[in-house]
Amino acid sequence: MLFSSIPFLYYFLPAVLLCYFAAPKKLKNGVLFAFSLIFYAWGEPVYVFLMAASITFAWGFALLMEKAKTQKARKIFMIISVVISFSFLAYFKYADFFISNFNAATGLSVPLLKIALPVGISFYTFQIASYTIDVYRGDTKANKNILDFGTYVVLFPQLIAGPIVRYVDIAEMLKSRTHTFEKVAYGVQRFCLGLGKKVLFANAFGELCSIFRESSEQTVLFYWIYAAAFMLQIYFDFSGYSDMAIGLGSIFGFKFLENFDFPYVSKSITEFWRRWHMSLGSWFRDYVYIPLGGNRVSKPRFLFNIFVVWFLTGFWHGADWQFIVWGLFYGTLLVIEKMWLKKYLDKAPAFLCHVYVLFFTAIGFVIFNSVNIGGAFADLGAMFGFAGLPLFGEETLYYLRSYALMFIAGALLATPVIKNLLKKVNATKTGGKIIAFAKPLGFAAVIIMVTGYLADGSFNPFLYFRF
Amino acid sequence: MKKKTEYIYTVIVAAVLIFGLSFWAVLKPADDFSESERRPLEKLPELSVKTLLNGDFMENFEDYTNDQFPMRDTFRSVKALAQYYLFGLKDNNGLYYADGQIAMLDFPLDEESLDYAKERFDYLYETYMKNKVNKVVFSMVPDKGFYLGEENGYPVMDYAAMEEYFEENLDFAEYVSITDLLDKDDYYAADTHWQQQSITAPAEKILGALGARPFDDLSEETATENFHGVYYGQSALPLAPEKITYLRNEELDSMTVMNYETGKTGGIYDFGKLEGKDPYEFYLSGSVSILEVSNPNAEGDRHLIIFRDSFGSSIAPLLMRDYAKITLIDTRYIIPATIGNYVDFEGADVLMIYSSLVLNDSYLFKK
Repeated sequence: MLFSSIPFLYYFLPAVLLCYFAAPKKLKNGVLFAFSLIFYAWGEPVYVFLMAASITFAWGFALLMEKAKTQKARKIFMIISVVISFSFLAYFKYADFFISNFNAATGLSVPLLKIALPVGISFYTFQIASYTIDVYRGDTKANKNILDFGTYVVLFPQLIAGPIVRYVDIAEMLKSRTHTFEKVAYGVQRFCLGLGKKVLFANAFGELCSIFRESSEQTVLFYWIYAAAFMLQIYFDFSGYSDMAIGLGSIFGFKFLENFDFPYVSKSITEFWRRWHMSLGSWFRDYVYIPLGGNRVSKPRFLFNIFVVWFLTGFWHGADWQFIVWGLFYGTLLVIEKMWLKKYLDKAPAFLCHVYVLFFTAIGFVIFNSVNIGGAFADLGAMFGFAGLPLFGEETLYYLRSYALMFIAGALLATPVIKNLLKKVNATKTGGKIIAFAKPLGFAAVIIMVTGYLADGSFNPFLYFRF
Repeated sequence: MKKKTEYIYTVIVAAVLIFGLSFWAVLKPADDFSESERRPLEKLPELSVKTLLNGDFMENFEDYTNDQFPMRDTFRSVKALAQYYLFGLKDNNGLYYADGQIAMLDFPLDEESLDYAKERFDYLYETYMKNKVNKVVFSMVPDKGFYLGEENGYPVMDYAAMEEYFEENLDFAEYVSITDLLDKDDYYAADTHWQQQSITAPAEKILGALGARPFDDLSEETATENFHGVYYGQSALPLAPEKITYLRNEELDSMTVMNYETGKTGGIYDFGKLEGKDPYEFYLSGSVSILEVSNPNAEGDRHLIIFRDSFGSSIAPLLMRDYAKITLIDTRYIIPATIGNYVDFEGADVLMIYSSLVLNDSYLFKK
């Protein structure tokens, strides 16, 4: 079920809110668990059983780890648990990738499995793995209550599209959390913000990307418009979903960590990845990069560590070569920055640094959103004039004019400019009074407009569902 | 204190909207039909173990909740207005609003579609008309986007190329261009079609090519003042209803129309259709595969066969003066190979008249 849908907003959400706040404290996790299962089953009725199996294995092995008398036994239980979790992911997400590459390499024709990808499996597998490893490391205690642990895994606000919430960060909240009016109000505001980002902006830019793909007019300028539109689509799509998750979490008394921090204002690719999908970056840092030795190793080993992490980051996003190339592309840029470019970027004018980041981010996302690796190179070639395309055409200019205001508004919203401006206005006496009334009205307007877009049955895909 | 006020109002407005609309949506009886969109609305899907496990229930439930949402047309209007006036987008769902008119973005020219249409027209000529008919005239009705688009900054299909294509490639027909005789105001503001009272000049030009005379005593009558065209629903813009005007005289009143699909006989103007899903079907009952009109007042026994789409329905009455029999054929609804079972082409005049919208998407023509 999509957050940005009529069934969620006007059927599921009111029902879960009523039941949750009517339930006594000790039943609240049960309510969340039950509704989260319904939420998941809505899109994946059969895969609920897969998720139940994942939860049971991880919960059981964590308890076994804690009861184990030797470190070796703990390690064995940890490995078994992690291997089981990742086996599910490998089977459902990556099996066909390996089979098709095996076929291509050997000339054989092993039939593909063609299994539907369970929604959110990449997210919840990483959450389960972090729990298992944290219990093994002694960073947290195993949860004896399977309902509480299950609630952590299936918690619907972040179940299918993150942020990747670590068990240690919400372990205490699972046992006991406070519900305040402020938390609810903040959650409502954050949810509305995310809803607006997703439905009003991400979908509009997504529609432009679709128009580009279906258009018979291919021009160099149209390729660049597409690249810019996709950059904004994926940002508003994913950060919007994270906002909604954080907002819903707050309404239910949780505090999820931030996942985005205006990444397009970064002055380096290193900074970009500290601001983009932060929960995934920190997961790889803590569970892959640092265990491999991080940067406190020889230079060749350091390079190896970087490329392993970025290979896996790319591969996590999708079982296809363009995702791997996308990951390695960023790995290469990060190595170049760390070993050579950083000192120049530190001294360069901010404007140039922004142009540098936006340029390479655009290239990266064109690779990311291509149909395959061949398509990625074809798209990049067309962007740089190697496809012999005209510079622009009538249709290109029409869509540029049509989306001009959306691009300006999208670019502004993707930076902290408006947020900072509101903060300044709010700091003044009159401004603060105005905002106290204007903000709720603004959120009401967002709900009404979003409902209009959803009732119209508009274009409403969600990019990160495929992960 | 300011923050607390802000929070209180935020929660109140969000709760009122979400819970209010939620209760309304749950309690509201389901509607059967959307007048504005001219389509049936989804019903509550069947709930069973099978539909739950295969996901059909969930998928259909989403369609159902979208279709049956309270004040859905109002919300769709909110979206349309936001698209145009808040986000500055120049079209909504492929429709644009300019100079008080709604038109569809229809570009570029689909050459494969033109080839397909030509192949279908060639088939009709070779099968039924060659060495049989008196004369064949072909005409294309430009979409109103031709008149509206360019001056308002919208991409416009290459209509000149389309006209040139049919002029050069249909060797058996005389091409009659009516493009210069029309203007954007000759079309309904919120519908794709032209208005009958505005197309007497194109009718006269076509009749000139056929060697026939126009009526010279037609008077204007109002059929309805509550016409919402097809673009009204699709665009979701809150536009005023329009007037459907028709042209009549005693000769037209005396003509009878035989509908080959229903076997029923009626008049040129079908007043019953004014209350239906598409009031434009008032003209010759709309989309029907074969209609035969008898004109008891015609001098002689000339026969006019019109291959047409819905634009042909409103111009056809203006062409009937000199013809004792007029047959209207819509090859989107009949297999061409069967037409000979119903229509005799011997000695007839033939008019092929299609809108550019249909010619640019001609795959609806049956094989």
